[in-house]
Amino acid sequence: MSAPDSPKRQTANAPRKPQAGASTHKISLKDRLNGWAQQHQLVAVETLMRLLTKPLGSIMTWLVIAISLTLPGAMWMTLDNLSQLSNRFQASGSMSVYLKTAVQNDQAQQLLSRIESMDGVADVRFISADEALAEFRASSGLGEALDLLPENPLPGVIVVEPELALPQQDVIALADTLRSESRVDSVELDTAWLDRLHALLALSERIVWVMGALLALGILLVVGNTIRLSIAARVDEIRVTKLVGATNAWVRRPFLYTGLWFGMVGGLVSWILLAIGWALVSGPVEDLAALYGSEYRLLPLSAGAALVLLLGAMLLGWLGAWWSVVRHLHRIEP
Amino acid sequence: MPMVRFDGVSKSYPGGKEALSKVSFELARGEFAFLTGHSGAGKSTLLKLMLQMERPSEGQVFVDGDCVNTMKSSQVPFLRRKVGVVFQNHQLLFDRTVYDNVAMPLLIAGYQPAEAARRVRAALDSVGLLGFERRNPIELSGGEQQRVGIARAVVNKPQLLLADEPTGNLDPELSEEIMKLFLRFQQVGVTVLIATHDIALIERMGHRRLILDHGTLHDSGPRAGFERGDHVRT
Ligand SMILES: Nc1ncnc2c1ncn2[C@@H]1O[C@H](COP(=O)(O)OP(=O)(O)OP(=O)(O)O)[C@@H](O)[C@H]1O
Ligand SMILES: [Mg+2]
Repeated sequence: MSAPDSPKRQTANAPRKPQAGASTHKISLKDRLNGWAQQHQLVAVETLMRLLTKPLGSIMTWLVIAISLTLPGAMWMTLDNLSQLSNRFQASGSMSVYLKTAVQNDQAQQLLSRIESMDGVADVRFISADEALAEFRASSGLGEALDLLPENPLPGVIVVEPELALPQQDVIALADTLRSESRVDSVELDTAWLDRLHALLALSERIVWVMGALLALGILLVVGNTIRLSIAARVDEIRVTKLVGATNAWVRRPFLYTGLWFGMVGGLVSWILLAIGWALVSGPVEDLAALYGSEYRLLPLSAGAALVLLLGAMLLGWLGAWWSVVRHLHRIEP
Repeated sequence: MPMVRFDGVSKSYPGGKEALSKVSFELARGEFAFLTGHSGAGKSTLLKLMLQMERPSEGQVFVDGDCVNTMKSSQVPFLRRKVGVVFQNHQLLFDRTVYDNVAMPLLIAGYQPAEAARRVRAALDSVGLLGFERRNPIELSGGEQQRVGIARAVVNKPQLLLADEPTGNLDPELSEEIMKLFLRFQQVGVTVLIATHDIALIERMGHRRLILDHGTLHDSGPRAGFERGDHVRT
């Protein structure tokens, strides 16, 4: 073998650069920060490359993450669309025009035909005070009690159906016009079914959150388990790096980045799945809307929601990795 | 302040007999010493105590003035960075090149890649393995692997160099070369402690000897060579 180089000479060479002084483990703060940032960059790129160049080992993890994200993502998209739709319907429900009690039936009929000819009115229907009382008697079961009343307390009602496509402000304007009629006592927009729809939407939203939380837990477990396996595969490396002075943070870093990338790739795959789903459904939805004379178009996932999905996935991946690392890494000591 | 101080150190492994009993000694800065003793005498155990790879059951271990056995685990990495170790089973990683193995302590300590490259080449050169950078350690002979381990131990220019059977797989000629290499480190102020069976070599070199016998330490031998390393680094 060639004669070994003199370490003395080596040391004599060293002080040319400031970080290579005789007491070699002293590195200036600036260099240390640079080194730290570089180390992060290096680990980030390295772990990402490892995932991308050897996707087979972790493809299952990506898919599980992607699917776990796609489910609540799709439900969220659906709810988003439904609530958009319900906003459009807000005032297109029918309205009840209560007449003053003194109004006679023939006067009511005159008003009826006048309303019918107004812009934006699709249909009108008159319920006389007597009809209203009969209906109430039948539905309330208060027959006997109602007989005790000296006179019919119920007013006549004209039910007005605005045109379906009538914009909300026009519906409200119509209601105001009707309210100003001298024979009209009050006008009520009939929003009961909308209230029910909103309640249903609120409930569904709650369900999406619960489901999302469960699936998030699933992502944590899947990432945690994948990281546990990769820790197990790298026990020797971890031991050796600790022997030559690696801090816990240094040992953790590649695993945490791996978790982060898992989340990111899973999130991106889920974007693709959601986009495919949207493309598949939006055509038929447009056709359906056209049948109802509406130009409604299915909204894709909003940019904000998409971002939340991706960042949430990355956070979950990171947390899953952290959880696994905390549980398994400290047991590996040289 | 001595580089290493053992103060009444005993070590019993759980369920085992006592591997070290009441060991006390000091190594001055820049001193060069051998640690000998029969197989199972406790040499590896003594070295491990200095890195907190094991903790003593009794007594205290000081390295560079810091008490190792009570050191917080967050401080241990920084202790290990100033101690270069050649392990008995060399502890190389076979999933990466010789270069990456040797560069590891530097990357961990946060060296710039260019500076790290320069030092790795210097370290490989010093053990006669220049040109082996791209090889995988698994392709190397036992002696070559051991020298890669030595290169890794010295690459960060440690203050204290510990070696556990560093010449175990080497022929006598190469063993002597390696020992001379260690001596050169001592000449630039590094404290060196070498555990070895190689009595013939020790006799030839004539330095301070710490002899372990069933866990008990006998200090003997000349302290030649120490004079040369007496210039304490500041
Ligand atoms: N992890 C362990 N658990 C239990 N006993 C151990 C452990 N490591 C070492 N020992 C015991 O401690 C004693 C000293 O071991 P040590 O490895 O320090 O000896 P050594 O002098 O290095 O021997 P060799 O020259 O064969 O390497 C031995 O009796 C050994 O069986
Ligand atoms: Mg041993």
